[in-house]
Amino acid sequence: MDLALQLLFTGIGIGAVYALVALGFVLIFRATNVVNFAQGEFSMVAAYLMVVFAVDLGWPYWLSFLLALAGMALLGVIFNLGVYYPLRHRTFLPVIIATIGASILLANSVLAIYGPQPQVLQGWFETPGIQLGPVYLDSQYLLIIAVTFALVIFNYWFFEKTLLGKKLQATSQDKEMASLLGISVSTMIMITFIYSAVLGGLAGILVAPVLFVSIQMGSTIALKAFAATIIGGFGDVAGAIIGGLALGVIETFGAAYISVPYKDGFAFLVLVAFLIFRPQGIFGERVAEKA
Amino acid sequence: MSSPSENMPVTVSVPRSKPLLLRHLPYFIGAAALVALAATMQFDGYILNILMQATTFAIAVFGLSVVLGLCGQINLAQAAFFGFGAYAVGIGTSDYHISYWFCLLAGCLMALVAGAVLGMSTLRLGGHYLAMVTISFQQIVTLVMINAIWLTHGPDGVPRIGRPDLFQSSQSYLAFCVGMLALVGYFVWHLPDTRLGRAMRAVRDNELAAGVVGIDVFRTKVYAFALCAVLGGLAGGLFAGGFAYVSPDQFSFAESIVFLTMSLLGGVASPIGSAIGTGLLILIPEWLRFLKSVPGLYLAIYGLSVILIIRFMPDGIWGFVAAAFERWRAQLKTPPAAAALQLKPATVGGDIVLEVTGLSKYFGGLKAVDGVDIAVKRGGVHALIGPNGSGKTTTLNVLSGLYKATAGKILLDGTDITTMPPHQRTAAGLGRTFQNIRLFRSMTALENVEIGAERPGNKMIGEGGDAALTERAMEALTFVGLGGRANELISGFSYGHQRLIEIARALAANPTLLLLDEPAAGLNSTEKLELHELLKRIAAQGLTILIIDHDMTLVSEAAQHITVLNFGRRIADGESMAVLRHPDVVSAYLGSE
Amino acid sequence: MKLTRRDFAAGIVAGIAAPHIITSARAQGATIKIGMCVPATGPAAEQGLWAQNGAKLALAAVNKAGGVLGKQVELVIEDDQTTNPGIVLAFSKLAAQNDIVAFLGSIRSTQVHAMAPDVLKLGKPVMIGGTDPALTHMGNQWLFRFRPNDSYSGRVIADYGVKTLGKKKWAIVHSTDAFGTAGGKALASALEKLGTPAVLDQGYANQSQDFTPVVLAVKQSGADILGTYFTFENDIGIFARQLRQLGVNIPWVGSPSVVAVSSTKLAGPALFGTYGVADYAEESSDASKSFGKAYRDAYKSAPDNQSAWPYDAVTILSAAINKAGSTDPGKIREALLATKKTPGAEGEYNFDQNGDGLHGYNVVKNDKGTIVYDKHIDFND
Repeated sequence: MDLALQLLFTGIGIGAVYALVALGFVLIFRATNVVNFAQGEFSMVAAYLMVVFAVDLGWPYWLSFLLALAGMALLGVIFNLGVYYPLRHRTFLPVIIATIGASILLANSVLAIYGPQPQVLQGWFETPGIQLGPVYLDSQYLLIIAVTFALVIFNYWFFEKTLLGKKLQATSQDKEMASLLGISVSTMIMITFIYSAVLGGLAGILVAPVLFVSIQMGSTIALKAFAATIIGGFGDVAGAIIGGLALGVIETFGAAYISVPYKDGFAFLVLVAFLIFRPQGIFGERVAEKA
Repeated sequence: MSSPSENMPVTVSVPRSKPLLLRHLPYFIGAAALVALAATMQFDGYILNILMQATTFAIAVFGLSVVLGLCGQINLAQAAFFGFGAYAVGIGTSDYHISYWFCLLAGCLMALVAGAVLGMSTLRLGGHYLAMVTISFQQIVTLVMINAIWLTHGPDGVPRIGRPDLFQSSQSYLAFCVGMLALVGYFVWHLPDTRLGRAMRAVRDNELAAGVVGIDVFRTKVYAFALCAVLGGLAGGLFAGGFAYVSPDQFSFAESIVFLTMSLLGGVASPIGSAIGTGLLILIPEWLRFLKSVPGLYLAIYGLSVILIIRFMPDGIWGFVAAAFERWRAQLKTPPAAAALQLKPATVGGDIVLEVTGLSKYFGGLKAVDGVDIAVKRGGVHALIGPNGSGKTTTLNVLSGLYKATAGKILLDGTDITTMPPHQRTAAGLGRTFQNIRLFRSMTALENVEIGAERPGNKMIGEGGDAALTERAMEALTFVGLGGRANELISGFSYGHQRLIEIARALAANPTLLLLDEPAAGLNSTEKLELHELLKRIAAQGLTILIIDHDMTLVSEAAQHITVLNFGRRIADGESMAVLRHPDVVSAYLGSE
Repeated sequence: MKLTRRDFAAGIVAGIAAPHIITSARAQGATIKIGMCVPATGPAAEQGLWAQNGAKLALAAVNKAGGVLGKQVELVIEDDQTTNPGIVLAFSKLAAQNDIVAFLGSIRSTQVHAMAPDVLKLGKPVMIGGTDPALTHMGNQWLFRFRPNDSYSGRVIADYGVKTLGKKKWAIVHSTDAFGTAGGKALASALEKLGTPAVLDQGYANQSQDFTPVVLAVKQSGADILGTYFTFENDIGIFARQLRQLGVNIPWVGSPSVVAVSSTKLAGPALFGTYGVADYAEESSDASKSFGKAYRDAYKSAPDNQSAWPYDAVTILSAAINKAGSTDPGKIREALLATKKTPGAEGEYNFDQNGDGLHGYNVVKNDKGTIVYDKHIDFND
């Protein structure tokens, strides 16, 4: 029982990481109908920015954090202008391939600049964690879980209650109609890219103290996060969160009770099972009837 | 949902007439010369290895040119399929001492089955799912290669892989691989001209339109995917024999990306492009080694080039060259003269060609179409009108099978087509055009119309040979007045002419009923007149037309019978003039509230 | 950041120099040539540079002492791109040059596996650094190993834990790649021979984000000592931290990565007090110390095993050719196998009939973040 509780906490913690990255996927997908395969690299780049500001330059953590997020916003702009925008009138295939190209470009540019050695980034808290009865709660994972849930609420408020959020929604649902109503579609898409780059960056900065800062940190998480979005139901914010958490828990328990070496396989098996038996995911794909 | 109809275009091989083989003789002579060269020229080990790698990789990239270039589907697991072939040959010959040929065949079969199953489970879904699933598949295959040590030797890899007795020396084995490359190349080169190939191109260019002109989209995609996988497997088997050693890192996701980039760089649409891309990406790393001295720099440039290729050279190096050549050839080639188009709509049922009863389509709570009845008389022009948002286009989409009806029944010439997928409705005799034109943009006008003519059950194309198809398509193009420009690419035509080509595509299929979705939209007044004339000529041949349009002049002059929809319901139906004077109709259009 | 610029410059120099060396070699023909496959590009490019440094250091010493058979020795370097196909290409390029008498292969076992069939075909001696025991036990008589193989690391870990630390209940954790699997197997069988079979043998896949299930398995097994084979430093870091967080504080003896500089940096206090085996430890012998000094003088940086084994390989190979009195591959082979009691940077070389030169490891300890030499354990069989 103690064992299961510990596994559950870890599973939810790692699941929250997937969920954070999945959120970025979903936002871009809803706005542009495109899957951004460089989403994981957003997280990686942000973590390296933190290392540059907070570790190499020794600036205060909060300042480094703000600067890293600002850097991510800039990356979002560049990404939109360089990768998505020129291809916006083409089918999804060239765009997907371009985002894959961008992911290779980002990962290897960082590798070329920073070298292959993983880096250390300290967490927010001085204390590494707390012992709660039989279960040890890692403070950074607690923070990740808290931020994930705060973001769920924030997203709900932002998309349902604010004008900008509604405009973004309108754009993602029907671009032609939105532009007829006087919404600048290209501005909305730009905002989406900025927002999801910042979100991805936030995820990267949050997980860096746990997983260390390495070139591959983004890509492995992103694959799982993508699986999470499909399990949750593509294009659905709540689905992405639930899918992420579910995946983290399944994976941890699968590793503990079935096989550790095949741990990564579980995520993909669950994914394939969903694709075959329930492709619309837990919550159903919102875009299903878009003809 | 896709029970195959009897005469679906499924076979890859198309009966070829002798002259064609003769015309391709230079290819075979060239290939034979290459094989001889590979067999006799003295290479040192280094060059031999480079050539071996390039040859086997090229075959795998050919596979991608089929699935990505021809059919427009993404495959990010080609290295996994490559690995299937390689491990089958590796483990088979080295551990179990089974004949090389048997192992090669087994590897191809494994790849084929894996590709087909993977395709069948996901190809119904959108492309982003396919991308994800192929990545997942790739990861699982890599995990198994590494962890199933009892079978695969894990990360140690499989050493001492055998070759066939006939090709023991590296030189003769290379010659064998070059020979295989030439054969596969020939096959892939000619695939686009076969029925299956045309179907794939149609699916790539416009899935919706492909379904509507009678192509089983799903099945075509699965074929393309399986074909790609099997070529990957074949290439892997050849590769394993060539290098005598395989290990999991050679079949990782990164390698799949390398295959993809090779394909994109050279040009996805053609095997020549694949060969160019493969050759370049095997040689460029050798030339640009100095870039690799900083880890990551080389791959970063790789990533950047992918973005730049996609942006500025979407058809790759060869696509660029080929397009220029194509333009030049189109000007030289004079299209053959065509006979007059015969439209002989099949008649099975009685006086009513299309009988729609109680048709409804709900989107969630929105009742877009609600209990509509329509009866279209044989040989007449029937119009369906209504203000914006009245449910006209939804009705049309339900009729042609793009949407599933929520309730109601659709009878075409006595056949119940309510639950059929689009391509089967087309086979049953339904033809349609789209409000926003959906042509296969990378093809010529003639090729577009040929695809239409290929409709299963089309009685006007005899046995369905290539010659008959071309003839029928030329007749249809001539009928709409564009016979002289048959070999030009779609992108070169004006909007109005593209609309005519779309109508020709539908006519070539000799449908029982022709659905025209706002044919006058976007046309200037001269073009509208031409369209009107064309409709008259079509009607004169006895073909039934159901037309949807806003243009009242067109509707009132062309149609004998009109059905009016508003808010998803039928508000009037009957003889044209009477309906147009109906008070409900007037208020619906002019807004009486 | 500084590191990279230096690498870049060095890489460019190497890139420009490599073809130059080849052409100058063709022009002269009056030298003894040794081929070397080394990652000048790809993920291990940096380590490749260290390997070249080690080999060149030995080369300079050999040439200064009069060379081999009265001629100067020359290295012909070819880039293996850190990949298996890459090393096959590189080796075939070198093998095509008939006047190369012997080669230096790779430090990575899978790469040696990849090139092994070609080595057998060519029939010339190849010095290797890959530590998979199978490499010298698969009937390929042309491979000569200049690092102790993993069966010895397993035996040293077991020996140290059981005899020196006095612990009997072992938990083994290893990665499921070639290195980890072979190492885990070697450790398990060494423990069995010592009469203390492991209570847990747990594999994991590389680049895991979470080790909770593994740590809990260790905890539940009731083991009082931990033996590990980790491949990647960030995996060690995450594992070590979670191990301590979940309250497992038993002694830990691991493969070289446990005491690698980057793991020490990543895991911090979580790795304090752990033991690791190392094939190169600067304090372990006079020969290692003098290599260390020479390397520091030449390159202004600390040496490690990446540069130590090529140094030994070039030194001992040159001596063997001199002893053989000819460049005949068979005679070089015999002279190499006859090399006994020869001190090197990595330890004392006593070649056995399989082509393994070293039969033991150093044990080093992480003493609050600094790695200190503890003990050398050698075996005679």
